[in-house]
Amino acid sequence: MIYSVVGHYSLILGLCAGLILIFFSIQNFKNSNQLDTKILSFSFLQFFFVLISFLALIISFVISDFSNETVFNNSHTTKPLFYKISGTWGNHEGSLLLWLLVLTLFIFIFLLRTKNQPIRYKILTLGFQQLIIIGFFLFLIQTSNPFNYLFPAPDEGLGLNPILQDPALAIHPPILYLGYVGSSIIFSSALAATTLKMVSSSWAIHIKKWVLISWIFLTLGILLGSIWAYYELGWGGFWFWDPVENVSLMPWLALTTLLHCILVLERKEILTSWVIILSIATFTLSMCGTFLVRSGILNSVHTFANDPERGLFILIFLFALIFLSLFIFFFFHQTSKNNSSNFFWLSKETSILVNNWFMMYFLSVVLIGTVYPIFLDVISSQKISVGPPFYHKLIAPFLIPFLFAMAIGPRLKWIRSDLKDKFYLISLLIISILMSFFIIKNFNINILINSILIFSALYLFFITLRDFFIKKYKNFAQNTAHFGFSLLILSILFNNLFSSEIITNLKVGETYDNSKTKIVFESINQKKEKNYKSIIANFNITNSEGINNKLSPELRIYNQPNITTSEADIKTTLMKDKFIVINLVQNQDYFNVRYQVKPFMLWIWLSVVVISLGGLVSFLQKRI
Amino acid sequence: MKIFKNFIIILILLTFNNLHANENNERNEITKNLRCLICQGQSVYDSDSDFANSMKILVDKKLDEGLTKKEIYIYFKEKYGDWILYDPGLNKNTYLLWLLPIFIFLFGGAIIIKSFILKK
Repeated sequence: MIYSVVGHYSLILGLCAGLILIFFSIQNFKNSNQLDTKILSFSFLQFFFVLISFLALIISFVISDFSNETVFNNSHTTKPLFYKISGTWGNHEGSLLLWLLVLTLFIFIFLLRTKNQPIRYKILTLGFQQLIIIGFFLFLIQTSNPFNYLFPAPDEGLGLNPILQDPALAIHPPILYLGYVGSSIIFSSALAATTLKMVSSSWAIHIKKWVLISWIFLTLGILLGSIWAYYELGWGGFWFWDPVENVSLMPWLALTTLLHCILVLERKEILTSWVIILSIATFTLSMCGTFLVRSGILNSVHTFANDPERGLFILIFLFALIFLSLFIFFFFHQTSKNNSSNFFWLSKETSILVNNWFMMYFLSVVLIGTVYPIFLDVISSQKISVGPPFYHKLIAPFLIPFLFAMAIGPRLKWIRSDLKDKFYLISLLIISILMSFFIIKNFNINILINSILIFSALYLFFITLRDFFIKKYKNFAQNTAHFGFSLLILSILFNNLFSSEIITNLKVGETYDNSKTKIVFESINQKKEKNYKSIIANFNITNSEGINNKLSPELRIYNQPNITTSEADIKTTLMKDKFIVINLVQNQDYFNVRYQVKPFMLWIWLSVVVISLGGLVSFLQKRI
Repeated sequence: MKIFKNFIIILILLTFNNLHANENNERNEITKNLRCLICQGQSVYDSDSDFANSMKILVDKKLDEGLTKKEIYIYFKEKYGDWILYDPGLNKNTYLLWLLPIFIFLFGGAIIIKSFILKK
């Protein structure tokens, strides 16, 4: 009880700190010889208040204080401590509080760490950021207060959705939010820089660090979500082009485009308008994502909490931000009068433009695919589904030239270039053709587009691999990320093409046998945990090479809420995953058994880690 | 360049030679493209709900009756509407959906060429 009061009032104090900060910023902006120390203190104070509030919520969860409505809705006394804590941000109210926590932390770090930039720019960025922060405060206090009382306090809570009780999902939201919120700093800073007409190389160098931070966290956040979907949702897929997945991919695409585009701005002070538009777009897309997920407009596996009133608030807030940024962009932005915007067709600039071009295309595919069904439903009340086939058809063919551009582009010089090492480029081309040819011949791939994709991804793979040895540390960050991307495409392709699967119904003691695989359903154990009962099935699986595996998938029957989940058992090895999951068949003593062999699964995860490592290297690198 | 072209041609020829699908694959392909109507955003293939399982049996039955993939899609579309298909075909409802991204791609390319490459 007391914690809810503390949390609630400290939220209001945080909001007050925001208003005071805006007041100080205006004063300081008029008289801007040096940064007012009060600004720094209040910024810290704001972060501190939100932290108190966040800790209060965590404590409420830990002690299971059911007089708090959020705790009542999302927790239960029998839940393990770890999930009581992670349950804090496993729900709408708590996750918004986490958003706010990161927002206030980031702006404080921004003020502290930004040196060599004009004072007025820092103050203005703070001002824009405070607008966002105050918006979130109002949203939180108005429509989704995490500290609502319940009287009389219930004895027991409703419990957390069991599929959210998982270690990967406990850290997935915080990591993803670090990425989203980082993009808000980019947004505010771009608006500030536009207003002060200082979008230049030095600004690009300064903001690039923030772009990299958000990019790394966003990449890792998406990865964690994907890993979670793979083992928890029980179908062995890792990406379904589900609206909620798309919504996290869109800011990532925009941010990746920005990351490349800013390289040009760093050098040549051109493309300024484009950089600003991308900065605005990235944050707007993150907000759009929050809106679409929270408003319940989308039909998705990942929709856990929705409420139309919240949707309306976010929508209004979103429009206000878009309007503000467009206003600033059109009234303050000066296009550079630099004449050097004429690019030679074979140069690094052009290749970055090509990157931007394709990325924008991918973004538009994902965006249109996600929102088109909503609009169609509203306009003509026709319901259509846009699923994986749509995205594959529109994206896969365009990946081929994209991969080639990724291989060649980084090797070009600025301004004007011609291809060096033609011999290597062509010989690697031939090697990759031969290799893909070999793969296709041996494994009966019968789709043309896949074979060409394999070939182009292999090409990128070889070229980046060679660059590791030839160029050593030059362009190391970029090369690592591109290498990771080629590995990702290859792993996804091989995973798609060579996965095999057996679906069958078995009773205890029965055996399934085809020529390649023998599955013996040996026994069943029962186990009782604090918050669930589980049925563990033991399988013995022998494949054609005589390798024996014991796998024990589980069915968990949670008591609060009463939901049954299937826990897959996965045997991960370097080259392939063996994945087995069981389900009850209604009113029978059979179990539905699904056994999958999925090659290169581990490599999909690893390659995304490699991609973000590329970002990390670039972040740590001193600029030469 | 000539070698490259030849390779591509051989590649294409070879890939078309291997066109043979077995039935189980076809079933999977079809069920991957059908939405499980009682689930939240899962395909029939991915889901283990009763609805999905009966749909899988239905698809098998239709395949045994000798219906092609297309005919099965049409069958489900007539029964449940467009909502059930994950692959929105090209029709008057979806022209924009399919063509808008392509249009954006062409438009973007035109802007790049016009304002950066050809500009004097």
